[in-house]
Amino acid sequence: MNQSQPATAGIVDFLVERRGLEKAGIGFLVIATVIAFFEDSPLGKLSAAYLVAFMFFLSISLGAMFFVILQHLVGAQWSVAIRRIAEILMAPIGLLGVLSLPILVPLLLGSSYPYWWNNAVLRVDDYIVSKKTPYLEATFFVFRCMIYFGVWKIIASYFSRLSRLQDGGPRADLTEQMQRKSAPSMLCFAITVNFAAFDFLMSVDPHWFSSIFGVYYFAGCAVALFATLPIFLFIAQRSGRLGSEVTVEHYHDLGKLLFGFTAFWGYIAFSQYVLIWYANIPEETVWYGAREKGVWMGVSLLLIVGHFVLPFFGLMSRKVRRNRPALLGWACFLLLMHWIDLIWLVLPSVPGAKTGVGLVDLLCLLGLGGLWSASVLRESYAAHLIPIGDPALPKSIRFHAE
Amino acid sequence: MSDETKKEIRVVGVLAQFSGKQTLVKAASEVRSKGFKDVEAYSPFPIHGIDGALGIRPTILPWLVLIAGLGGGVLAMAGQWWTNTVDYPYIISGKPMFSLPANIPVTFEVMILSAASVAFTGMLALNRLPRFGQPLLRNNRFLRVTDDGFFLLVSDDEVAEEKIRQALEEAGATDIEVVTESVEESKIPVPLVYGAVILACFALIPPLMIASARGTTSQKPRLHTWFDMDFQPKLKTQTPSNLFADGRAMRPRIKGTVRRGGLVKDTDTGYTSIPAVGTPGGDSVQEWKVEFPMEVTDSMMDRGRQRFNIQCAVCHGKAGYGNGLATIRALELQQGTWIQPTSLHADHVRQQPVGQIFNSITNGVRKMPAYKDQITPEDRWAIVLYVKALQLSQNATLEDVPADMRETLKASE
Repeated sequence: MNQSQPATAGIVDFLVERRGLEKAGIGFLVIATVIAFFEDSPLGKLSAAYLVAFMFFLSISLGAMFFVILQHLVGAQWSVAIRRIAEILMAPIGLLGVLSLPILVPLLLGSSYPYWWNNAVLRVDDYIVSKKTPYLEATFFVFRCMIYFGVWKIIASYFSRLSRLQDGGPRADLTEQMQRKSAPSMLCFAITVNFAAFDFLMSVDPHWFSSIFGVYYFAGCAVALFATLPIFLFIAQRSGRLGSEVTVEHYHDLGKLLFGFTAFWGYIAFSQYVLIWYANIPEETVWYGAREKGVWMGVSLLLIVGHFVLPFFGLMSRKVRRNRPALLGWACFLLLMHWIDLIWLVLPSVPGAKTGVGLVDLLCLLGLGGLWSASVLRESYAAHLIPIGDPALPKSIRFHAE
Repeated sequence: MSDETKKEIRVVGVLAQFSGKQTLVKAASEVRSKGFKDVEAYSPFPIHGIDGALGIRPTILPWLVLIAGLGGGVLAMAGQWWTNTVDYPYIISGKPMFSLPANIPVTFEVMILSAASVAFTGMLALNRLPRFGQPLLRNNRFLRVTDDGFFLLVSDDEVAEEKIRQALEEAGATDIEVVTESVEESKIPVPLVYGAVILACFALIPPLMIASARGTTSQKPRLHTWFDMDFQPKLKTQTPSNLFADGRAMRPRIKGTVRRGGLVKDTDTGYTSIPAVGTPGGDSVQEWKVEFPMEVTDSMMDRGRQRFNIQCAVCHGKAGYGNGLATIRALELQQGTWIQPTSLHADHVRQQPVGQIFNSITNGVRKMPAYKDQITPEDRWAIVLYVKALQLSQNATLEDVPADMRETLKASE
C-alpha cells in the first residue's frame, strides 16, 4: 500500500486530525436549525429533514451490513478484496445510534414532530391512532430502537472484529466461524430492518400501513450501498490507499448488483403501489393521495423515471458497468434519487413539512453526512483497507484474470 | 467393410490436445495469428480470455434479448389496450378502461417471457444447436473434454492438413489427429422426419376441430368444460323453494318495515289534493293532476326516455305498444298467466291526465306492479313526460312538426 502523497496528506490531516468533517457537519446542523426557525413550522421542518438525512446514512450502513453478512453467508470469494470497505461503511452504526437521540429524546418529552401519533390530544380523539396506541407509544418506540441499534452494533462489531483478527495471519477457522454466525445474523438483520422501517418511516403517517414497506426500505438500503461502495473504492484507489487489488471486474460486479437492486427497488415500489391502487381502500390510498398532490406528484413521477427507468436502461450495458466514470456517475445519480425517495416517504406526511423540499433538508443531509463520513474515514485508518489475512483474498484479487 | 458399403467421408478438422487452460488460450491466439480462421476451443469449464484468443466477436444475443423484451412489452400493452378499450370495454371496480397500473404485471410477465424465450432459442440458434451428430464425440481422446481435456479444433479446407498439424505442434499441442465424419451421419435420420411430419399432422387436429366448431351452429347446449359460476347453489327469483314454509324463494317484506329509500314523500302523489287524514272520503275531492308539478325541460325528457327504456320498455315495448321483449317471449311460451300490457297508445290511456299515469307507475295497475320503490318520484314524472311525448309521436299530424322541419320529414319519407 502506498503512503499518502503530500498533496492528500494536508487534506487528511485537516479531515482526520483536526476533526474538520465533524466541525463542518455540526456547523451545517446548526445553520439548518437556525434557518428552520424562520419557517412556518420550525419543528416540523427540522424534524422531518433530520429524519430523512438520518435514514439516508443509516440505509448505507445497513446496506453495508447486509453485504458483509451475505458474503459470509454464501462463502463468496470474489468480494473479499472489497469486503473491508463495506465493513468500514457499516462501522458508523454506533454513531447513528447516538444520532437517533435528536429523534427519540423529543419523543419522550412529548413532541409530536415528526411523529404526530405522539400528540396527546390526537391519540385520544383520533380513532385509528387511539387503537394503535399500545404500539405507537414513545417509551415502547424508544425501547424498540434500542433493540435495533443493539442488534446492529453487535453484528457490526462481531464481523469487523473477526475480520481484523484475520489480518494477523490467514486463519480459515475464523472464516468458518463467521459463516456459522452469518445465518442468524441475517435473520436478526431482516427482522430489525423491517421493524425499523415501520417505526422510523412508516409511522410518520400512523393511519397508513403497508406490510411490504420494510422490504421497500431494504431495497433502498441495497441501492444506496451498491452506489456508495464503488465511490469509496474509487476514492481509496485515487488517494493511493488502495492499489490494483481491486480490478475492473470488482467494479463490474458491483455495477451488476446496483443494476439488479435498482430493478428490485422498482419491483417492490410497484408491488406496493399496485395492490393499494387496485384495492382502492381509502385507509391505504390516503398515503399515495398525499403524494399525488401539488409538488409531490412531480416528485412521484421523478422517482419512477429517475430511480428506475433511467438507471435501468443506463446500467443495462456491460460497457457502462465496466466504464468507471460512467458507473460512478450512475452511482452518484442513484444516491441523489435515494435521498429524494426518502424525502418523498417522510415529508408529505409530516405536518409543517408538506410544502416541499428546502435548504433545511439539504443542510441536514450535509450535516449528518459530515459526521457519518468522519466516522467512516476514522475507521478506515484503524485497519487495512483489504482483509490481508483472509484465505480467499488471492482468489478474489486474481478474480477473472486467471 | 467392403468398398460398396463404404460411406462418404468428410474431414471435420484437425483436433489438438493441450495440457491446460493457459496453454490452450496461448495456442488459440498463436494458431489464429498464423491465418487460420475457423478455430474452435473445447474445455471442461469456461475459460476467461478464450473469446479474445479465438477472435469471437461480442455476441448480438443481448441486443436480440433487449429487442424481444421491449417488443413483448409493447405487444402486451397494445393487446391489453385493445381488449380492454376496443374489443370488449368492461368497467372493473370503477377503474378507467385503460389504466397503466393494472396492465403493468401482464406487460412485465410478457416482457420476461419473450426476453427469456429469445435468450434461450437465440443462444441455441447462434450456436447452431441442436445438432444430430457431433463427430468429435466419436473420438475417444476427445471424451476427456468433460474431465481434464483441453482441445483446439482447426478446420480449413483450403490449407493442407500437414500445415495445420505443423502450426498446432508449434503451439505446443500434446496430441494431434484428424477428425472425420460420414456425410450420411450428419443428416437427419429419415424415420425422424416421417415421425415429425405425422406428429405435425396430429397437432393440426385440435385447431381444426375448434375452427370447424366456430364456423357452424349447433342446437345442443355448449360443452361445459369449466363451470365457472354458471351453476350455483342459490335460489333464483320467482322460483319455488322448499326451504321456507310458504314454498317461495323470494321473501315478502316484513310487516312494519320500509325499504331504505322506500318512504312515500309528500310530493309523491298524482293528485292535486288528498283527503285530510282521518276524514275518509272527506271534504276535498281527489282530482288527477293535469299539469306537471315541475318545470318541463329537455334534460327531463332525456332522463324520462332513459328511464322508460330501462324500466318500462321490456314489457311495454320501446314504442309503447305493449310488445316488449318480455311480452314477446311470454306469449311465445304461451304462459297462461301473462297478460299483455296495455298499449300506451290506446284511446283510454291517451286521454289519461298526467297524474293518473304517474299514479299507475307509482302504485301499479292490475297485473302491473308498483314501481314506487324502484323509481324516484322525479324519475316517475320524467317517465310520464316521455310517455306523453310517445303518445303524441304516434298520433301527430304534419302540423305538429315545427314548420322548418316539415320539409326534411317529407323528404325522408
